[in-house]
Amino acid sequence: MPLSAAELSRYHRHLSLPELGRDGQERLKNARVVVIGAGGLGSPAALYLAAAGVGTLGLVDFDRVELSNLQRQVLFDTAAIGRAKAEAARERLLALNPEISVVAHTLTLDAGNVLDVLRGYVVLDVTDRLTTRYLVNDACVLLGKPLVSAAIHRFEGHAMTYLPGRGPCYRCLFPEAEEGVVASCAEAGVLGVLPGVLGTIQATEAIKIITGIGEPLVGRLATYDALELRFAEFPFTRRADCAVCGEHPTITAPLRTVASCDTADLSSVHRLTPSALRDRLASDGSRAALVLIDVRDPQEFDTCHLEGARNIPVAELARRVGELPDGCTPVFLCRSGRRSLTACALAIRAGIGAPAHLEGGLLAWAAEVDPTFEVARG
Amino acid sequence: MSCTVRIPSPLRSYTAGAATIAADGGTVEEVLASLERRFSGIRFRMIDEQSRIRPHIRLYINTGEVTALSQPVVAGDIVHVICALSGG
Repeated sequence: MPLSAAELSRYHRHLSLPELGRDGQERLKNARVVVIGAGGLGSPAALYLAAAGVGTLGLVDFDRVELSNLQRQVLFDTAAIGRAKAEAARERLLALNPEISVVAHTLTLDAGNVLDVLRGYVVLDVTDRLTTRYLVNDACVLLGKPLVSAAIHRFEGHAMTYLPGRGPCYRCLFPEAEEGVVASCAEAGVLGVLPGVLGTIQATEAIKIITGIGEPLVGRLATYDALELRFAEFPFTRRADCAVCGEHPTITAPLRTVASCDTADLSSVHRLTPSALRDRLASDGSRAALVLIDVRDPQEFDTCHLEGARNIPVAELARRVGELPDGCTPVFLCRSGRRSLTACALAIRAGIGAPAHLEGGLLAWAAEVDPTFEVARG
Repeated sequence: MSCTVRIPSPLRSYTAGAATIAADGGTVEEVLASLERRFSGIRFRMIDEQSRIRPHIRLYINTGEVTALSQPVVAGDIVHVICALSGG
């Protein structure tokens, strides 16, 4: 669709760039970009993409605007507190540029809807949840859609671009992020202007992908340290064994994951080393206050388990949390300490104040306490 | 052999907020052991019980990816620890 007289005026500075010009601006007008998360990164990304004239912007966010968002989420003003983010953002973006269309999706992205929501778009992953980050990456690989991903923490940020058939995906960079070991901004804090830098990089990448100019951030992780004002980049390649884009992918549909702990506050979790757990189990007084909950799958549990441990697989814990005895501290156990940390998050959400888990899992137990303990493969 | 290790934001709680640490060692493993002696527990956040780099961590010597902890480190190298971030 050709540009109107008003658009020719609005985008004059773009049209003056020979690399972009009228053809590039028309490509932007005909483009569709979806922003997964109207938060710190999503705010500058969406604002700049709207201003740049991306014809259709999708915004996905289930949340409502809170006062604590306004330190960095520049899409919103104080009057928007309490409103659905996707709707408030839609109004703001249309006020900035009424020539574009904005589609608000007030929903939680999950395995059941991700393919439908992302279909037809260039995707900007600006989520604050690791599970969603992997869900979006996998969906983009499965759909063959471009993805620009970024993440932030305190004073540091990362960005990368995935182009189908051109380079590695996010899982090639980090095959998986262990639950709970990567603190969220809610726990660790974030400098308010930091997402401004990374979100703007994402918008830049989206514009480059749409217009075909420049060199996209493919196969390179860009890092930014605000305290030292230091940019760096690190190359990475496609992994032949990548679970989603590798030669023999095991992820062929969006994964339905158990609730992750990446949004939970894990500061109350007692992280027991194997020797600390051994000492507590050896003391009658301490032993009586503990209940060992092995959250591995039943076949792993059957191979070998600690004396007195009960088996509640982590996937069943949310609905079986009522089986945990009152007055005892649950100590969650698994193979490596990952599923047990997820179990802690589920327990906290269920109202158990201070659960415990075995750091390093039963592998560490076998290595440090009991070499006869046979740990089944997970 | 002295090198510099750049610590990612999520692990700076171990280094009292320091972004760069001088460390000794002729291999990545030795450099990490040097770090561990000063900042107890930091190695476990990067390396699992089977001495594998954790899947949410990447290590680089300058701009070259570390694929084995036995890789040599020479004086003046910068060992970068990159950790997946979750915030948005």
